[in-house]
Amino acid sequence: MEYGLRLVNPFAPPRDPRDACSRPWRELLPEGPAVALYFGSEFCEDRLPDLEEAEAICATASDCGWEPTLLTPLVTTVGLGLVERLLAGLTASRRAPAVVFNDWGVFGLLRERHPSLPRRAGRLMNRSLRDPRAYRDAPSGSAAHDGSRFERLRLFFIDAGVSAVETDVDLDGGFLGTGRDDAGAGLSRALHLPFTFTASGRNCPMKALLYPDGNGFSKALADPCPAPCRTGPVPVQRDDSPLLHWRGGNTLFYETPQQVAQGWLAHADRVVLHEEPAP
Amino acid sequence: MKVLAPLRNSEEVLALCEAGAHEFYCGLTPSGWEQAFGHASVHRRNPKSAGVPNLDDLYRIVALAGPRPVFATLNAPSYPTGAVPRLVKFGRMLLEEVGVAALIVAEWELLLALCEQGLAPRLHISSLASCRNAGAAAFYRSLGVARVILPRHMTLREIEETAIPGLEWEVFVLNDGCVFEEGICATSHALGTFCLSDRLGGKFSRLDERYEFWKWTQNNCGCQTSRGFTLGPCGLCALPRLGRAGVASLKVVGREAPLARKAASVRLAAVALGLAESGARPEAIRDAVVALRGAPELCRDAHLCYYPDVWRGRGLAGGSSAVPSAPILSTKAAGSESPGPSVSTSAVESRGRALPPSGSASCGSGLC
Repeated sequence: MEYGLRLVNPFAPPRDPRDACSRPWRELLPEGPAVALYFGSEFCEDRLPDLEEAEAICATASDCGWEPTLLTPLVTTVGLGLVERLLAGLTASRRAPAVVFNDWGVFGLLRERHPSLPRRAGRLMNRSLRDPRAYRDAPSGSAAHDGSRFERLRLFFIDAGVSAVETDVDLDGGFLGTGRDDAGAGLSRALHLPFTFTASGRNCPMKALLYPDGNGFSKALADPCPAPCRTGPVPVQRDDSPLLHWRGGNTLFYETPQQVAQGWLAHADRVVLHEEPAP
Repeated sequence: MKVLAPLRNSEEVLALCEAGAHEFYCGLTPSGWEQAFGHASVHRRNPKSAGVPNLDDLYRIVALAGPRPVFATLNAPSYPTGAVPRLVKFGRMLLEEVGVAALIVAEWELLLALCEQGLAPRLHISSLASCRNAGAAAFYRSLGVARVILPRHMTLREIEETAIPGLEWEVFVLNDGCVFEEGICATSHALGTFCLSDRLGGKFSRLDERYEFWKWTQNNCGCQTSRGFTLGPCGLCALPRLGRAGVASLKVVGREAPLARKAASVRLAAVALGLAESGARPEAIRDAVVALRGAPELCRDAHLCYYPDVWRGRGLAGGSSAVPSAPILSTKAAGSESPGPSVSTSAVESRGRALPPSGSASCGSGLC
């Protein structure tokens, strides 16, 4: 197993990648090297880094011998421009991050403008259910991991030069497929742990806090946000779920049950460890 | 532009035509589906409460609709193993035998499979596919699909930037908001509505009331007016600008709703469309909508607006706090320094908590 790390402070990577998570997870996860440093955002275009920060993270990854890996979210046309400028700046300074796309617009941008950058299909490309309430009735999960699901989509990705598929734990499994064959053809598989996203959107409560009564939410969709969520996730109490939940900016997450995650490890080549649930 | 109406059965067709519907959409679950795939959804709605009852009834719907196209929803965000080949066959039958004009699709695997079958020109991309930018639109255009349904949570400017030539564009104009974005909400309504029980609390506690109020508006204020109109999200004042952006179809939401609610919503949309096509400005459309529907308080501060940016730079006549023309980018909350809305959100919300379920004749909120 290899590891990608998404850290609260990407400039202080741990020696053992498993040190990025809590002890029970450290004990569950197999030994393996860190190979990639993840940064950016899969859920909010306002959390994309500026060029200076991105370059610094790429430099840190390079110092560690890791691949810098830029996470990108669903984007507006303005956000697509942000990603485009960020990639243009990074490639101009001879940085070549892998890019995780979750939007067909970003996918097109990578194919047309940055074909040399490794591209990875992100976890929002897998729209399978992740409802935490499902674990009330099936505490160990119900994923069948049938690789025939999404077979056509994976072939499409391969034809389009995508190198890997990524997901968090969903209720069905199968998105990751069977991985590369002996000749190296196919898609690498990455599993995001320990947090699974539940729901996300543009009507961010943390952003709404910045507005006066009667505004925020729908009335502020396109306003740029200073990202108060950078202060960290907030625990969320729910009566209808047995799991731990967090709000990270515009996105709700829960901690994946460990016994469920264990069943997924055999279907992954890489684990992307998130130090905290962040958008 | 055309008014796109939801349908549950053939008995609703003529009434909705009379109300002003130009197009229809509905969902049908293939026979034997439940035995093969359990409770997995075919069309994101309960087949019993929102689906067309059977294939014969769909034939009747298409016949009664006449020249008005009928679209079928195969728009679940994902499907279980073995479902896609079956849905491809089912979709082809709907198109080629039943006379359905197009299929509404969200899941990539099903989309690619239908495109492989040469059916791309008969496909509409569901709002669940989250097409938010011109690049994503170009991707769908490259597949050869006919139409893209834009997600709810986009501004008018974003719609203008996204609606590239070569595709038909559909937007939401009435009812049934979403707290999160439906395309990236990984929960199932079969287990209850996850978002409505989302609570902030903790360091967000001062936002609790506003969040509850906003969620309440997304949920059609939990009621309808005494005139039979839904008090849900509405984009009718934006029709002039949506028309200029190239939008072709105006979606009224609510397949599962009673016919009376559907008809009232379609009538409201048709009135607004007539005004927009005759050159009316947003203010005139709003006045006409309020005159017909009631509940001016919820329009006054754009509480129900799908596209509140229609009021940017215009102000809201009769309202005390228009949509701000510039964002507030202080990391400090500015709530105490700004005028509140003319309707107390706390008053509306506290009354809203005691509202009867949607579909009741009156909610007792004082707004009906």
